[in-house]
Amino acid sequence: MSKTPLLAVEDLAVEFATYGGRVKAVRGVSFSVDAGQTLAIVGESGCGKSVTVQTVMGLIPIPPGHITGGSARLRGREILGRPILDGKDIRGDQIGMIFQDPMTSLNPTMNIGSQIAETLQVHRGQTYKQAFARAVELLEMVRIPEAERRAKQYPFEFSGGMLQRAMIATAIACEPAVLIADEPTTALDVTIQAQILDLMMELQRSKDMAIILITHDLGVVARMADEVAVMYAGQIVEKGSVDDVFYRSSHPYTLGLRAAMPSNDREHGHRLHPIDGSPPDLFHPPVGCGYCARCPHAMRVCAEQPPATHAINTSGSHYSRCFLHHPDARDKRVPGIHYPEAGA
Amino acid sequence: MTNDIRLSSRDLEHIAQERVVETLSRPSLSYWQDAWIRLKGNRRALISLYIVIALLAFTLIGPLLWSVDPSVQDLDQISQPPGVDRRATLVAPHVPWHGGEAETAAVDGLRIVGAANSQAVRLAWDPIPGAVRGYRIYRNIFPIGPEKAYGLPLVMSIAGTWYEDLLDLKPRDYYYTVVGLDEHGVELPDAETIEVTLPRVITIDEARGRGLIAADATPQLGDPVTLALHPLGTDALGRDLLARLMHGARVSLFIGIVAPFLYVMIGVAYGAMAGFIGGRTDAVLMRFADFVVALPFLLFMILFKVMFGLGAGESGIVPMLIAMVILSWPATSRLVRGQILSIREEGYIGASRLLGAATPYLVMRHMIPNTMGVILVTLTFAVPSAIFTEAFLSFIGMGVAPPTPSWGSMCNEGIKTMLTTPHELLFPAILISITVLAFNLLGDGLRDALDARMRSRE
Amino acid sequence: MFRYTLKRLVQGLITVWFIATATFGAMHLVPGDPLSGEKAASAEIQANLRAKYGLDKPVLQQYFVYLGNIARGDFGISFTQKNREVNDIIREHFPVSATMGLLAILFAGAGGVLWGALTALFRNRLPDVIIMFLVILGISVPSFVMAALGQLSLVKLNAFFGATVLPVGGWGTVRHMLVPSLVLGLGTMAYLTRLMRSSMLEIVNADFIRTAKAKGLPAARIFSKHQLRNASLPVVTVLGPAIAAITTGGFVVELVFAIPGLGRYFVQAVQQLDYTVIMGTTVFYGAFLVFMVIAVDLVYGLIDPRVRLQ
Repeated sequence: MSKTPLLAVEDLAVEFATYGGRVKAVRGVSFSVDAGQTLAIVGESGCGKSVTVQTVMGLIPIPPGHITGGSARLRGREILGRPILDGKDIRGDQIGMIFQDPMTSLNPTMNIGSQIAETLQVHRGQTYKQAFARAVELLEMVRIPEAERRAKQYPFEFSGGMLQRAMIATAIACEPAVLIADEPTTALDVTIQAQILDLMMELQRSKDMAIILITHDLGVVARMADEVAVMYAGQIVEKGSVDDVFYRSSHPYTLGLRAAMPSNDREHGHRLHPIDGSPPDLFHPPVGCGYCARCPHAMRVCAEQPPATHAINTSGSHYSRCFLHHPDARDKRVPGIHYPEAGA
Repeated sequence: MTNDIRLSSRDLEHIAQERVVETLSRPSLSYWQDAWIRLKGNRRALISLYIVIALLAFTLIGPLLWSVDPSVQDLDQISQPPGVDRRATLVAPHVPWHGGEAETAAVDGLRIVGAANSQAVRLAWDPIPGAVRGYRIYRNIFPIGPEKAYGLPLVMSIAGTWYEDLLDLKPRDYYYTVVGLDEHGVELPDAETIEVTLPRVITIDEARGRGLIAADATPQLGDPVTLALHPLGTDALGRDLLARLMHGARVSLFIGIVAPFLYVMIGVAYGAMAGFIGGRTDAVLMRFADFVVALPFLLFMILFKVMFGLGAGESGIVPMLIAMVILSWPATSRLVRGQILSIREEGYIGASRLLGAATPYLVMRHMIPNTMGVILVTLTFAVPSAIFTEAFLSFIGMGVAPPTPSWGSMCNEGIKTMLTTPHELLFPAILISITVLAFNLLGDGLRDALDARMRSRE
Repeated sequence: MFRYTLKRLVQGLITVWFIATATFGAMHLVPGDPLSGEKAASAEIQANLRAKYGLDKPVLQQYFVYLGNIARGDFGISFTQKNREVNDIIREHFPVSATMGLLAILFAGAGGVLWGALTALFRNRLPDVIIMFLVILGISVPSFVMAALGQLSLVKLNAFFGATVLPVGGWGTVRHMLVPSLVLGLGTMAYLTRLMRSSMLEIVNADFIRTAKAKGLPAARIFSKHQLRNASLPVVTVLGPAIAAITTGGFVVELVFAIPGLGRYFVQAVQQLDYTVIMGTTVFYGAFLVFMVIAVDLVYGLIDPRVRLQ
């Protein structure tokens, strides 16, 4: 890749020291995102997707957290561990972030306008008055009616959806290059979810922002993302474009996720298939593939050696971390798994 | 992204998917077992538990091991700190002095006549010029500084040039000062001070009467005897502090444990009733509880004490207990009511009801076990506050009536002699503090162990 | 807010009525009547005194007279100090207690918030360990021992300087007030420190603090604007009960430091069985506490928008 990506994360590894031992929450995650693009990171609870982005943002508490390796570069410059460039905090300025639960993510004793204005005061050096006026504009931008009056209200006077809009307004106040959305719609009603997602896409188009979207909702992914990274047990097991991952799934876990998702696709019938079992104990990650114990196609090698990544398409933008794609195993041809076309 | 390793056909064998992944990694524990394990893991709480057990042993078993009567006075050893020399010398009975030999002394100025000891000190001095109205005598236990702060006089004025001090002498250093008084009765500027160290003495009859020497022995004057042992010293009335602390512990811990137990039980019953019945009854019951909470606690404690009155020979323990119970139950009742109300809304209660559980079953199986933890924690925290209340009331003289010892009343007595013999205040105060500390830390530990939601972040 | 205030005030008045009734009830359940204990009083004198204090009337009538008097703010005449009005006694001695209590609350509140915030900042490091050790001492040592130790250290201090730096007892100047108020506030300060610490530690992990960090706010701003304010809310809620604790704790401090406050007077009155003074003081203190709690709640409403706007 010749061009430097906007935000590139390389081989990130994070551990947490707990009473039970060290939890290897993230085990070598790499991804990158460019302006105007949306990368979705999907996976079930506890797979390390939130820890990954919170590490990039410098939000995990150290200790008990501990970054054991890797890098995160914004426009080629290292920000991991200390998200400050040229003496300025990039958080809120160049990278904005919104969280899962808007009800608790805003300060209950400060009015909404001031909380948005704060970012501008700190990063843009505006006076409180200027910043508050701008906050009202931002609230209008995220479609909050009567923004002037609403800005003076407190979080408990807002509904969940409104609060998430206010969160978005806070995050985009300084027009960041990257917006990280950590399960932005999980706590919201389905109808509100769609509105919030539309709002994010619209803002992305007008500001040419990169969005990293953390979610476990494949429906949201299909709607929003350009690229998808599927995470399992602290690793990315499959990554590719939305079409690659959805229609050319090449990892058994991705297949499992799809089977567990409600769809209109008549081929699968109407029954949903849950994935049996639970994720591995990350106090002692398995030697082999993390999904091995739950995988219907597991082979002996899967339990004994860690799988490497295997390119599925020629450019390598779609890859899968599974032994089924090992050159020696390709003959097995498991049904449902997408294999690279011959010659790739 | 190619892989260097080669896979054999063995590697490619299909292995069975683990059907049951949920294996129990540790044995299932009941709520109380789990709480006990967590409590054992909390070092501070565990030490506090041992301290509480030690205190109970001190109270219950202590008096059996140290069987000294807490009300018996040892007049030879008054306000005595622990660890002093208990040896005394046998002397003849005291014979009143009439100033004889005063003139024959070899030293000029203020002097001691004869052997000064804890029985009597005989002072004599040369006449001071200008001392028309006689002399004033001071006795101090500290050296007199240049500011000449003599304090209160031992004798206001005396005509002769000799004095015999018999007043409450202790085996220690004294500083006697004699000041002449001019014709207006004003103290003359010059004064003489003499320092004297008194050895401890006891007459043969006294020693025999206290059982310090055998009845059939024939002791000689000047023989040493050893006075009774008081490991923690004595109070201002010569009573053994260790014995008083043990008996005081009975009162303090009795009130400290029984009163909370009673009012927590009443509070639980009241709160559970309000929470269970709900509606208008609940509102009325809780309103009444609010009123009782609003009564100024200590004032009403005192008021009730007055109201119940104290007859002769009563210790005042029961009135204090009743007053405490009357005033303290509402806090618990509020807590329990809140618990019951929230538990009633829990899903598992509804589920249990759907499965056909009757109300008594619900109460026994769900409500009580789920409020037990909170009740236990409340109880543990109520103990130190009850001990504080008892101590406070006894301290201001509104609590346990003398001579019944309690830690609070002992503090009250001890504070009067705080400057000279601090041990009389220190020992009961330390015991109160340790007890309160132990129960507080135990309460913290119990709360952490019993209720994960209330767990303090430390 | 206005309706809420009004409602609280009415509730407060009802509570004061309850306190007055309970006081009346308690005093009239005493076997015999207050005057039967009077020594060397002939039957005639006793009868006169009964008439003077209205004790010859039926209890119910006495009760209504008593309520009426309280409503007019008249607590009657002292039993033991003839012709001295209870109101005068309160007017003379209460300001002393109130000044000391106010200073103590200031010490306790400011100290509690400050130390609590410090311990949370230096969590599990030396300052935290030292302060928490002192806090545990402060919670476990009874107030009268604190008072005694305070006085002892004053004696030592004055002896060290060879002059009266701070007076050991009495009342009048700020120098008299300093140590007694500090001693009085110590227990509450310890309690508030603990509360503040746990509240701070809870808020460190709050979602909105994470948001503040994600906004790139400097640590000092997060601490002052987001953490401190939210963490001190629980401290404000317990100030009402704290005032009650400090007011009654004042008894001991007043006794030990020989301060002419109402508490010392109350204890004296109880020892002399001065019924009108006891009743008057109790009702007065009760009413004072009830309205202090209401005042604290209203102040809390000003600080916390969730309460203010509901």
